[in-house]
Amino acid sequence: MWGCSVWQPHDYLLQKGCDLMEKKMKKKKTPVSNKPLSVRLYTYRWFYVMFLPVLAFLIVFHYLPLAGIRYMFYSYTSAFNIKWVGLDNFIDLVSRPPFWNSFINTLELSIIKLLLNTFMAVIISLLLNEMVNIYFKKITQTIIYLPHFMSWVVTASVFTLILSTYSSGLVNTMLKTMGIIEAGEEISFLTSTEWWRFTYYLINIWKDTGWGTIVFLATLSGISPDLYEAAQIDGANRWDRMRWITFPSLANTIITVLILNLAKIMNLFESVFVLTNDIVTEVSQVLQTYTYDITFTSAPDYGFSTAVGFFRSMVGCLLVIICNFASKKVRGRGIV
Amino acid sequence: MYFLLCGISIAAALIPFTVYLDKERYKVFSVINVILFLLICAFIIVPLWKVFVDSLDAQAGYGLRMWPKQFSTVGYQVILSTETMRKPFLISVLTTVCGTLLGLIISTLGAYVLIQFEMPGRNFLANLLLFTMIFQAGMIPTYLVMVNLHLTNTLWVVILLPAINVYNLVLMRNFFEGIPKSLFESASIDGCTPMGTFVKIVLPLSKAALASIGLMFAVSYWNDYTNYKLYITDTGLHNFQMKLRALFFSSDMPEASDGANAETLKNAAIMVAILPFMIVYPFLQKYFVKGVNVGAVKE
Repeated sequence: MWGCSVWQPHDYLLQKGCDLMEKKMKKKKTPVSNKPLSVRLYTYRWFYVMFLPVLAFLIVFHYLPLAGIRYMFYSYTSAFNIKWVGLDNFIDLVSRPPFWNSFINTLELSIIKLLLNTFMAVIISLLLNEMVNIYFKKITQTIIYLPHFMSWVVTASVFTLILSTYSSGLVNTMLKTMGIIEAGEEISFLTSTEWWRFTYYLINIWKDTGWGTIVFLATLSGISPDLYEAAQIDGANRWDRMRWITFPSLANTIITVLILNLAKIMNLFESVFVLTNDIVTEVSQVLQTYTYDITFTSAPDYGFSTAVGFFRSMVGCLLVIICNFASKKVRGRGIV
Repeated sequence: MYFLLCGISIAAALIPFTVYLDKERYKVFSVINVILFLLICAFIIVPLWKVFVDSLDAQAGYGLRMWPKQFSTVGYQVILSTETMRKPFLISVLTTVCGTLLGLIISTLGAYVLIQFEMPGRNFLANLLLFTMIFQAGMIPTYLVMVNLHLTNTLWVVILLPAINVYNLVLMRNFFEGIPKSLFESASIDGCTPMGTFVKIVLPLSKAALASIGLMFAVSYWNDYTNYKLYITDTGLHNFQMKLRALFFSSDMPEASDGANAETLKNAAIMVAILPFMIVYPFLQKYFVKGVNVGAVKE
């Protein structure tokens, strides 16, 4: 799950489910049962058996790795060479410029990406909501959801071809035909430090904006038409209706989406990993790719890598807690 | 430079609204709106169309060509006939099928237990699940556990690891909560065991949920790249995504590529990687979207 940085509207659903359950729990304040615990345990015995496989998966894939976090205090170069080094890994960590660089990059890339994607998704869903022709609307939706189902490898491959500087690259050839650039000064979108980030944001918009509109479209279609009708009778023009009905209804959803996604900005990995290359490391290196690089491309010190990972998890955890707090302040309910 | 471009595109996105707000020009707005969406669709479709065309063109390679110059299916033939390309495809199919089934089993079992609100320890189990969403061990400790369990370089790791997905599990639980409580009660009065209720009542009633969450699992298994990259170094066990990546960045061309242009082959490989979902997607779109829509509209 730590590899998943694509922002997924179904988190929003998750949220709704949690709220619903909270409400239900609050309503049900009466004691659930007055039978003794042993009887209740016996009644539910089969449910415990049914939970066993889930528990086994949880322990093996989530809780055993948690125990491995202790290696951040060790020097671990191979299974036979594990030495206690105390906080040395962390002292080493803070003195490394590439580490800080990748930390800043993680924040910058994921926050700008999040803001751009959300902004575009809101605009597109507002416009799509105004679409009169229902068939055209359906077809448009089908098309803009499409790229979400492609893997990042496929996306990277498609854009490597399209943005190529050779004559096979669609974009550069088009720019040359239109006379915007001369032959010989083709833009290397993915292999130059000035252009890489722009390309990265653009590819993200291409891939995920459409999918992001689902939540906003659902909110928009959930606004009661009576409100608009009543406003119209009271003499509200288009702008007034948008200002006082559409925006307030959307604001809550926008804040929810932003908060839920802010909580996992540290997870950025695969999208960067498949689009990066040695030339643009300076602008593209994020914490996860940094961890990957120091572990799998040179002589590994798993202890040091674990320390980097722990730092990332801690920042991520802190963000979740802050977002949870913000979410409670803004919406009166938490995110997890 | 690119901040300028961003600014221009944002301003362009706002233009329709200036017309929209003007009562007189609302007709103009609808026309502009349609044109804008045609452009947006073009923005999404053109890269894919280009790949599609080049995969069917024996002389692929020129940027502006939007129709095959010399139509041929040689790219696809090479992929289907070369052992080193066919095997990754079959591995992708195998892991997707097994993984989706396993993922569904885990999610439905977990979700079914989580809706037993009166079960002692239910909250503890729920918190055990939720905690993994807040704090994750990270890449390296997970890697070390997989190494110690001797799961690396086997297909087990890529099938088992993504099967426990807490997001999907909680999503499934939300669907299950929609089932009326009285059904469970009447089932237990009629002498149905918990497992019986699960198989005979819960699962048949949540076919839509199974379809929608099953599709989420299938997509994530089919598209899996990170887990292969981390845990599997044996190229014989790589899936199609890994193969595609190798084709592009290590120029790992199949030997039998005589007659097929390298560009044609790359494009055909991309098409093969997306084709299974392109084919089912238009028919199953409602299930893909359902997971999001049902919950978001419900207030």
